[in-house]
Amino acid sequence: MNVPIRMLGIATVILWVFLAAYIAVAAYSFKDLNIGAGEPVFAASTNGELLFAMPFYIDNRGVCSLKDLNITTVFSDTEGAKISTASTSVPLILHGQNTTVFHNVSLNMKDLLNKEEYLFGDADLTASITAGLTFAELLPVEISTNFTYPWGAPFYGFTFGQPSFRLINATHGSIIVPVSFENHAAFNVTGSMNTELRGSDDSVLGVAQAVFDVPQQSVYADDLEFIVPLDSATPTELRGGYFNVYFSTSLFEYGPLVIPYG
Amino acid sequence: MVEEKKKQSNKVKDLSFKVVRASVTAILMYVLYLLVAALLAPVFELVPWLAETIEAFIVVYIVLMILGDLTRGTIFQHFFNVARALFLIAYLLVSMGEGAVSMSYENFNLTINLTMFYAFAVVLSLLGLATTVMKAISYLNERAEVASGFHQP
Repeated sequence: MNVPIRMLGIATVILWVFLAAYIAVAAYSFKDLNIGAGEPVFAASTNGELLFAMPFYIDNRGVCSLKDLNITTVFSDTEGAKISTASTSVPLILHGQNTTVFHNVSLNMKDLLNKEEYLFGDADLTASITAGLTFAELLPVEISTNFTYPWGAPFYGFTFGQPSFRLINATHGSIIVPVSFENHAAFNVTGSMNTELRGSDDSVLGVAQAVFDVPQQSVYADDLEFIVPLDSATPTELRGGYFNVYFSTSLFEYGPLVIPYG
Repeated sequence: MVEEKKKQSNKVKDLSFKVVRASVTAILMYVLYLLVAALLAPVFELVPWLAETIEAFIVVYIVLMILGDLTRGTIFQHFFNVARALFLIAYLLVSMGEGAVSMSYENFNLTINLTMFYAFAVVLSLLGLATTVMKAISYLNERAEVASGFHQP
């Protein structure tokens, strides 16, 4: 019985040595692993998507390979609701290999721009990035981080000024309304704005259209002119009512935005 | 009288041999720990609390080992060896927790899932426990054989 017991003892010791050596090798490999992230790049595509590209630099100078690298990004709105999710997978990064992984996330702006708060107000979106991989064949490792992405509204501070009335002729008058906004978005805003001037009884008093092409971080300021027949719109009728504004751009449609006046 | 004195002298010799043996084993064990600790320095840099818990574990483990060596040739040696194997299993199970080690650096969180490592270590500890139990059985068996006069050298 002594020989089998001794053999069992020797086998146990050898396996312990293997386990310790494995951990030491894995730890050294992990120390020699360099993972870095480049600056995220944001760009707007023509099909209404905001593209977010982030390069990851992985320099595996350790002796262990990296398997099943999976980078996942989840964009959430200010209330924590999920807006967009994207994943990038790399099946194998061999030891000694220097790799750059491009992680692309598309953010559907149509979903965001259907909400008034993102169309007219800036917000901080949250991006959670998680990178998971199997290290040294047996050890699943996960690195996660959060950062905020400042969402810039395309019609930030959209306001109508005080309407003014002027007589054109005996039958028609002109109502001029100054309009202004700032484009805080990461893209140029090009499109048109159709505005209905309605009285307090919901009747359409006049219609005006403005075409705009506002570059990023620029201010738009113009006047909307409503030509109205004098029998339907007099200065007294301008004391109460509202504007219905319809936005139409290559990226999104929105409306009506109701702005009361008077 | 002379034989009694001889017996006593042998006992003292035996005890001093056990003490020396236990001391040498303990020193060797500690030196081995220092070597392994030096190898695992990168891990300890990432997880500072790990070094402290391992040190406490090593102290208890060496004490049990010394006691086992001092009681060598008696049934108590096997008690201490079983206690040592059980302590190792208990330590692994307690330190395992959820099986993952998490650490934070600036805005980054790193989580390493050590479940596989712990599972393997626990299996090896169980193997160690089985070996010590078998040694105890073998010891009792030999004792019984000697007592009954069936012992064959």
